[in-house]
Order: sequence, then structure tokens, then C-alpha cells
Amino acid sequence: MAKQILSCNVNGEPVDVLVQPYVTLLDALREDMGLTGPKEGCGTGDCGACTVHVDGKVVASCLMLAMQARGRKIRTIEGLAAADSTLHPLQDAFVRLGVPQCGFCIPGVLMAATALLEENPRPSEEEIRYGIAGNLCRCTGYTKMVTAISEAAETLATQRSAR
Amino acid sequence: MSTMKTTRDVKGVGVSIPRPDGPEKVTGRVQYVADIQPKGLLHAKLLRSPHAHARIVSIDTSAAKALPGVRAVLTAKDIPHLKKKAPTRAHAVLAIDRAVFMGQPVAAVAADELSIAEEALDLIKVEYQVLAASIDPLKAMLPGAPPVADAGTEADTSEALAHSAVAIAKSEAPAKAVNISQQARLQRGDPAKGFAESDHVLEKTYRVPMVHQGYLEAHAVLAEWDRNGLLTLWASTQGSFNTRSEVADVLGISENRIRVIPVECGGGFGGKIRALCEPITAVLAQVTKRPVRYVMTRREELQAGMPAPQVIIKLKTGVKRDGTLMALDAETVIDSGAFSGAVLAVSAVFLGSMYKWPAFDIRGFEVLTHKPSVAAYRAPVAPQTIFAIESHMEQIARDLDLDSVEFRMRHLIQEGDPMVNGQPWQSNGAKQVLSRIAEHPHWKTRKQWVAAADKNGKLRGVGLALGGWLGGLQPTGATVRLNPDGSLAVLTGQVDIAGTNISLAQIAASAYGVDTDLVRITTGDTDVAPMTGLSAGSKTIYTVGAAVLQAAEDARRQTFEIAAAELEASVHDLELVDGNVTVRGMPDKGITLATIGKKGNLYMSKTPPVLGKANPAFTQQAPAFAAQLARLEVDADTGEVTIQDFVIVQDVGKAINPLGVEGQMQGGAVQSLGIALTEGLIFDDSGRLTNPSLLDYRKLTAADLPNLETIIVEVPSPAGPFGARGVGEPPIIPAPAAIANAIQNATGARLTELPMSPERIALALVNGKH
Repeated sequence: MAKQILSCNVNGEPVDVLVQPYVTLLDALREDMGLTGPKEGCGTGDCGACTVHVDGKVVASCLMLAMQARGRKIRTIEGLAAADSTLHPLQDAFVRLGVPQCGFCIPGVLMAATALLEENPRPSEEEIRYGIAGNLCRCTGYTKMVTAISEAAETLATQRSAR
Repeated sequence: MSTMKTTRDVKGVGVSIPRPDGPEKVTGRVQYVADIQPKGLLHAKLLRSPHAHARIVSIDTSAAKALPGVRAVLTAKDIPHLKKKAPTRAHAVLAIDRAVFMGQPVAAVAADELSIAEEALDLIKVEYQVLAASIDPLKAMLPGAPPVADAGTEADTSEALAHSAVAIAKSEAPAKAVNISQQARLQRGDPAKGFAESDHVLEKTYRVPMVHQGYLEAHAVLAEWDRNGLLTLWASTQGSFNTRSEVADVLGISENRIRVIPVECGGGFGGKIRALCEPITAVLAQVTKRPVRYVMTRREELQAGMPAPQVIIKLKTGVKRDGTLMALDAETVIDSGAFSGAVLAVSAVFLGSMYKWPAFDIRGFEVLTHKPSVAAYRAPVAPQTIFAIESHMEQIARDLDLDSVEFRMRHLIQEGDPMVNGQPWQSNGAKQVLSRIAEHPHWKTRKQWVAAADKNGKLRGVGLALGGWLGGLQPTGATVRLNPDGSLAVLTGQVDIAGTNISLAQIAASAYGVDTDLVRITTGDTDVAPMTGLSAGSKTIYTVGAAVLQAAEDARRQTFEIAAAELEASVHDLELVDGNVTVRGMPDKGITLATIGKKGNLYMSKTPPVLGKANPAFTQQAPAFAAQLARLEVDADTGEVTIQDFVIVQDVGKAINPLGVEGQMQGGAVQSLGIALTEGLIFDDSGRLTNPSLLDYRKLTAADLPNLETIIVEVPSPAGPFGARGVGEPPIIPAPAAIANAIQNATGARLTELPMSPERIALALVNGKH
């Protein structure tokens, strides 16, 4: 099958890349754009490891065809830290509280948590738990993860009020 | 071994320090095997048997080979050194003439693109003759059941040895039944007399299905051969030296022709100890002379990974009315799937060893079935075994109206008590852990909390359970080098699957006398690192930590010898303060670590570079216990369980890094809760897995759980570094029994089969099953 040109915006940069029309967005990101932060944990949308944002919405990139992203804004874990490499408050809280163990779920969890806090800046513990319920983690038991997201929400609120 | 005396407190052991790999992990920069994309990479796929048991009549690969982009199509015929009677799953690279479980690899393809490899699989034509299959282990044990192994295949007990060496009296002669691959029997006293003198006899059968370890990164490996015939494997493994040995054995080449580079492991939990897809990937790379990468799909993982075994335990106990233990009769049947390798001895020994039974008869059977063969899963067979013991103990206490903690405490083992195999219990904190959890307000106020249930149909219950693990042992090695800037470089071959590297760095820091910030630790590959064991059996900190401790002490001794010569002082008068080796009482007379480090690296220098090393072997285990408590609500109509509070108390000997210890306790507990409530590989009568996706194989999510409270207890182990014990395994053990006990407290129903799904609970309530 002939490859097609996928034109979209990835982490703030315009991208034109040749992809097979049948590949998923996850495979296009990983194999064709070299963005291996999003992971394949199941390939069927059940584990959340491949979570990215498409036009600000949480998407399981293993369930979306790459060509469906034409003209859209994609954000992956690689685009979460600031341009000067300063970690996003969520990333910073995850590191400080020792959340990542094996680390495989972490890019997906962080993208889900980012979207949650963009939509709901001060979530309750229950809202945080439901916000990352689509992301399976086998190492942490989620407790430190929930605490870190809660702390990051505080940090972001402080940053907003300082502005 | 001595715990090290440092001359001042350094930021080392006992401090919560985040893992140094955190920033790489939260930015998505850490590379796992599937992220490595060398030039010329080929992708591998395996054609798997659609039948649990079938004779392979013929395989036609011609159409697959003709597909453009296909670089190799292999069947067993193309790998002449493959032997029948494969002793392990790894040796059964491709099925030779018979497939013995659904999902067993039958043919392998390497192609330019994954989609081409997938298409090629569809073009391979295999003619099967379907054979009768043994699926239910209890039926598979019976004479005349369809045989799984080829006659003469030996049992594989290496997993048990690696994990938790328990000596066991050699088993009886193999039974006539063809599928019993291992047996154990442990006896003491006169159980018949004990039962006759008992006031209360309780007999129950406990069932736990196969469960998957559930690591989020599926098995993956990248293989490449160079022109000298040297094989490099980039592996997601819990033990690179073990992977090297297994692959060497399967391929029939020597270990010095293989280099295993342990790539970041996206979870293992015991499932990435034994080789699985490494040998076939290596063969594909050899045939194609290209790098070949194989990544299992989740469906393949669930259908044909190496899960934890199905376990069926029959317990019969006899006790006096006052709770005096009289006799135990127990039988454990462990379904090992299509190949031997379950840790039968651990289950058999634990059944009678936690509480002091004066008379017992314990029988253990490892049974082969036409299902995927099993492997370790975090404290292998302990959660299953303890589910039976701790459910049973609770039931006895309930029946006799005894306080369940006091009843346990009265009979619980302590140091020196004999296990059922005669081996004495080593120092442990079982009693401390149990008494600590019984002091928890959730336990003390349980009656009030239960009574305060809303009248909304939700029943409340509180339950607890205790569980333990003996801890593994394996020789290891470590080096500690002083750098020219005064910092330390620690090298081991130990794969960090649990945050152990930061803890090892803390041990080196405290032992040498510098802050952890000045210690960098590297996990080397099999070409460069000191030989080391598996990251398994809760033994990394206990054994590798001891090696690092000794190596750091050695490096400190060498450093002081150099300083003594430079300062013209006795080593006994020296101290190390803030990176300066000074003569005690003369703070101006000193030499910096950086100066000593530089002298070891100067052209024409006469100062030897500081290189501490240690390569200990071990004999003394350090058992570790955890207790867990659940407060939960049960919806009497739907059987749905909601966990309101969960507490984990664990004896870790010494928490080297409390932050990491908490993470282990919480993560292990949630796996334990998954076994209790939702997880189970469900096979139909033909051996087909009916739930091969993460939608149907339900793991717990954040929304299913409350915050988990962790309480660390420290009963120092005599031989561990700074008194540390193993941490990883104990927290996965108690929850199934704790939850079952809480459900009984809430509803009166005793659940004996896992998972305790809403359906099972609702049925138990309807049937009034007690």
C-alpha cells in the first residue's frame, strides 16, 4: 500500500511524515516520528500506556489511525516539560514522591493527569482516581500517584494565582 | 557481618531518596526493548497453536516465504538441535511434532515490517490432528488422563531453588499417573490420633486460578549476531546472567559467546526470570544476519505467557475447644501447565510451618496440564497457600468463638521453631507484625465500625491476615571505585526492577562515609559486571546489598591506607569527614577523597586506584512477614465489594529507603487485592483462554481502591546489610485471606474460591454458604 503524507502538529511543531494508511497513531509516533514515550501495553485501548492528547483531549493512540490525526494538534509525554526542560509540576511531583517504579505506565498516566487538571484544576481524591482509571499501573498501587497529582494541582493553583 | 561505623552521619541508609531514574521516566526518555530501533531491524512474529493438544501433521511455509519483505520462516525442522522432552519452556523453542498448549509457538517469521510478518503468519498452513487434552488438574492427575509431557521428561525444580530454597525430604517414587511431575510428602506425629482427640474438625478446599503477573511491558527482546559469531541480546529480564545461561543452553553454545544487556524492565514480578522468546529471536537473527526484535502482544502474554499456577488446597484441621492445635492434614495440587517448574516445596512446607501443628501429613503434587506453563509471580504460590491457611485459621477462631489474633499469636512460629521439613525458622518479625496490626485503630474499633453500617444494603466487615516469605539467596558481586573527583562508582550486574539501585547506593554511601549524592550506581551487562543472581526472591538488597556494603568497606579501607601513607599516620587514627580523610583531633592534617582519587589516576603515580570489591555467597535466609487489614463494604444484592480502608504492616528489617519500601508495600498489596477480587485466567474445557484481553482479565484501577496505609516494622535480620530483610514479596501475600475474612465478617459467608467476584459473593449469600 502506498504511504500517505500525515501533516499535523506534534508537541508544538508542524510535522509532515509519510505513514502507511493502516498504521495507528501510536505506531506513527513511535516508529515514524521517533517519539517512543507513548507505550504499547495492550494495543486494544484497555491499559492507557499509549495515552496522548489530540486537540487537548485524552486519546488512546493505539485505537486511532494515524491519518485521523491529519491537521490536528498532538501532544505526547515528550511535549510535557517546558521548552527549557523544566519539568511540568506533575512530572516534578511524580519524581519527588517516588511514583515511577518500572516506569512503563508513567507517560500515559501523566498525559491523563495533565488533561484532568486542565479540565478540573482542583479535583477531589475520587475525581483523581477516576481521572486515571483508564491507566493501569502494576507497580505502585496508585497511592503515591494520587498524592502526586493532588500536590501538582496545588502547585499549579499557586502558580496561577502568582500570575 | 558488621554494620559499618561511619565517622559522621551521612545522607545514606534510612533516608527517603527519590530514584535517580525518575526524571528520565517522567519524560518518556527511558528506553525499553521495544523503543530500540537499530538500522536494518527485522520484526518477528510467532505462529501459535490454536489447539491445547494436537499432533502437527504437516506445515507448509512456502507461501509465507514467497511474500516480499519476509526474511525468514522457521519451523522446528529448521532448528536441528531442538530436542523432544524439553525440560523447560525455554527449551521448547518451537513445537516439534505435538503442541501441548494453546498458544505454543509452531513457526516463526522475521520480516521487514511487523505488518508483513503478520501477513506471513496467515500464509503458513499447518495441519493439526486434535488430541484429547488434560485441562482440569484434578482430572489430569488420574491414571489414563491424556499425557502432557513426553515420557522421560525430567521435572524442573530450578525455580524453587532460585526463589526460596526450602529443603524437602525427597519425594516418593513417581505415581502411575502420567501427569504428576513432582511430589512431596511431609509427616510428623500421629495425625489420626490428633483428629480423634480433637473437639473441632474443619475441612475445606481452597481454589485459586491461574493469574498473570500483569507487568505492563510485555516480553520483548532484541537479538543481533556479529561477524565473529557473538550474540548480543537486549533483554527485558530479571537476571541477565540467568538469561545468558538459559539461552546458551537452549542454543547449545557457550556463555562466553553471548552478551546480555539488561534494558529497563517494564515490570517482571517473577514472569521475566526464565527465558521465553529469547531463543527463537536469537535463531531468527542468526538466520537472517540482521537485528531482530520480538515483542509479545498482550493477547499472547495472557494466552501464552508464564502465569502463576492454579492451586487447589485441601485443609483438614483438628483442634481442642480451647484452640489447642492437634492435627493437620493437607494436600496442595499445583497446576504447572505444560511444563514442570512450579515451586511445589514452598507451598507444601508453608502449609504446616506458619503455625505449630504437633502432628501433620502434608502432600504436594505438581501436575501437568495442556495449558501455558507457569513461572514465578512475586512470592510464588505464597498468596495462594496463605489464602488457605489464613482463611482456615480465621474460620477456626470464629467457630470456637476465640479472638482471632490471640488464637494466631498463641500458635504462631518464632525463631528456632522447626518448619515442617525440620529446618529451623530464622529470626523473623511475624509476631511483631501481627501485634502491630492488631493495635491499629481500624482493628480495635472494628465492632463499632461494622455496627455503624448504613441501612442501604451495604454490609460492613473488617478482616486481617498474616503472611510471610522465607527470602531467597544467591551469590553475587559488586565493586566500588573512588573517582578522581572524590565520588564513588558502584558496579553490579543486578537488574533494578524495584528501586534497588538507589538503596544500594545508600548502602555504599553509609558504609564508605559519603552522602548518597556522591554515589553513582551502574547495572552492567554480562560482559562487564560482576556475576550476579536474579532480581527475585526478595533478595536484591539482602544479598547484593551485602556485597555493596562489603565492597564499600573494602574501598574505605584502601582509601585509609593511602591516606595513612600520605599523612604519615596510623589508619586507626584517621576519620572521614565531609570528603576529607583527617587525623583524628588534627582537622588541619588531612587529604581529600578527590586528591586520593586523582593520585590513583595519574601517569607515573605510585598510588593504587581505590577499587573495593566483594563477592559473597550466602547461607542464612531472612524470612519477612507482612500483615494486612481491610475494612470493606459488601452490597448484599450485587455482591460488589468496596474497600474503604486498607492497612499494610510489614517487617523489613531495616528500611534502607523508606520511600521505596512504601512503594513496594503498596504495589504488592494491590496485586494481592487483584488476586483476591478480580483476576483469573479462565480456560474452557478445550483449554482455550476465554479472557485474553485486559478488558476481560480485570486488573484493579485507581478507581477501585482507597489510599493504602503503610506501617513499617523493623526487626533487624542478623545477616542483612544494616539489618535489612527482603521487601518485595511479603506484601503480595495476605490480602486474599484478609479480604475473605472481612467478607465473612460482613456477610457470614466464607468464600473459598478466588477471585471473590461479585457473582461468587452474591451466590454465596443466596446459598447461605458458610
